[in-house]
Amino acid sequence: MTFDFVEPVVFAVLSIGVIGAGAAVVLINRITAAALLMALTFLCMAGMFVLLGAETIAAFQVLIYVGAITVLILYGVMFTKYGDRPYGLFFQRQTPLAAVFVFALAVPVAYWAFFFTSPPPRPGGGDLPALATSVFTDYAFPFEVASVLLLAAMVGAIVLTKRDETHEFDERRRR
Amino acid sequence: MPIGPFGLDPVIWAPLRLVVAVALALFLILNGALLQIYLERKIQAMMQDRLGPYHVGPFGLLQTFADALKLIAKEDVRPKGTDSYFFLAAPALVFCPMLASWVVLPFAGDIVGANLNIGLLYLTTLGSMTVLGIVVAGWASNNKYALVGGLRSAGQLISYEIPQILALVSVVLVVGSLSMVDITRSQAGPLVNVLILPFSFVIYFIAALAETNRTPFDLPEAESELVAGWLTEYSGMRWGTMLALSEYGNVTVVCGILATLWLGGWQGPGVDALPLLGVVWFTLKVYALILVFMWIRATLPRLRIDQLMSFCWKGLIPAALVNILVVAVLSLAFPDTRVPVAIGSWILLIAFVAGLPLVQRRRLAGLRERARRSALPVRAAS
Repeated sequence: MTFDFVEPVVFAVLSIGVIGAGAAVVLINRITAAALLMALTFLCMAGMFVLLGAETIAAFQVLIYVGAITVLILYGVMFTKYGDRPYGLFFQRQTPLAAVFVFALAVPVAYWAFFFTSPPPRPGGGDLPALATSVFTDYAFPFEVASVLLLAAMVGAIVLTKRDETHEFDERRRR
Repeated sequence: MPIGPFGLDPVIWAPLRLVVAVALALFLILNGALLQIYLERKIQAMMQDRLGPYHVGPFGLLQTFADALKLIAKEDVRPKGTDSYFFLAAPALVFCPMLASWVVLPFAGDIVGANLNIGLLYLTTLGSMTVLGIVVAGWASNNKYALVGGLRSAGQLISYEIPQILALVSVVLVVGSLSMVDITRSQAGPLVNVLILPFSFVIYFIAALAETNRTPFDLPEAESELVAGWLTEYSGMRWGTMLALSEYGNVTVVCGILATLWLGGWQGPGVDALPLLGVVWFTLKVYALILVFMWIRATLPRLRIDQLMSFCWKGLIPAALVNILVVAVLSLAFPDTRVPVAIGSWILLIAFVAGLPLVQRRRLAGLRERARRSALPVRAAS
């Protein structure tokens, strides 16, 4: 007897976690529960990465998505006025269009999943020097593009939320 | 049939090892929390010229056991209007990451749960997950104090994570590995990392105080402003799990990281002859650091939230970035990295410590000037 049976079981549990929690994020009525379930989805995805032998990616997934992004979303939710809202309203109109898109996306993905044989990943997940070298040489351009995109998003967020102090002061005085 | 350790079949040994490891970690966390609470009360009492607990048992040693029994026997109170699931889930969300991070702490040469090659990354990852539980606890309590405590905690922990990770990077640059065991083994001689990288030790130490919500960064649970912050509505063993077990467990983990990365972990005199002696050295180092934490708690007042944030974003993060730059450049430039890196790091530390009063003096002068100007019309009128 060996422990070969553990990996499929863990995979099954994790996929149920990813799909179930992901569906619940979209369908559930309470926004805080949705945020926490999103954290669960991320955690299960991190588990998938560990199963694939990419421990580093898994660690960064948890560090960034669970530790930072979910907390920021919860932070935002806490400051927002909270109440039950009829979620049906949001979904009523888009359903046919969304169904078309999902179908168009899901069929090729499912097809690929069954007929795609990938080469074994080159740097092992825990092999950090090899991983870092490939990120900063082979994939330097996508890496830089992603960084610039994030920087642009950050500057945009600051510009959007920054209040025009002098303008506001004038407005108040005029009133 | 392959034979594992202790002559056991590996099929039996693998699950048995898991059970033993988790049980051992739980045992250490529970007793560590009891011991640390006792130490905390006794040491603070000594520093404040009081007696501290002395009624139950010799020197009051059994006081914390009595307190723990009281907490376990207490009625399970759940206030009205709390968000039931989240209120119940929050203690687990705080406790589980802390328990999981004990996996990679190396207690001795061979006594380590798992020698992960990304051990350090794993520890920071789990440290960042604690925030989630605290925020959820603050929100689910349906209490303004708890909510403010949760929000403060989220802001504080996310901010102080950055200098913490940046301080770890400099150690990784010098050692060249993320595995806790490799990092310990690299400090075999008396030249431990704290002598080579004192500046990142100081940065990590300050950030660790904030990560574990200890004074002077205990704003999320500031007793005099927020009742008990995010813990306000909790009582009984839920409070015990959150505060006693998780907080003191986290302090132990953080001190374990400090001891492993900068103080040589289980390395010490006589370890080569008797490997089990490593446990003693590791425990001594960890508890020495914990005593410093308690000393700080008894000495320093609490910071204000804006001081806390500006110290992190304007002080620690730039300092940590400069530190990484210096360490990286020096370790690339010289084949034998230790001595030049040590010189650079000590210069940075001295510059940082000497620069603090300078900045403070200018800020205080500005504040005094402003106070004098705002007092002028009052004085003229009287």
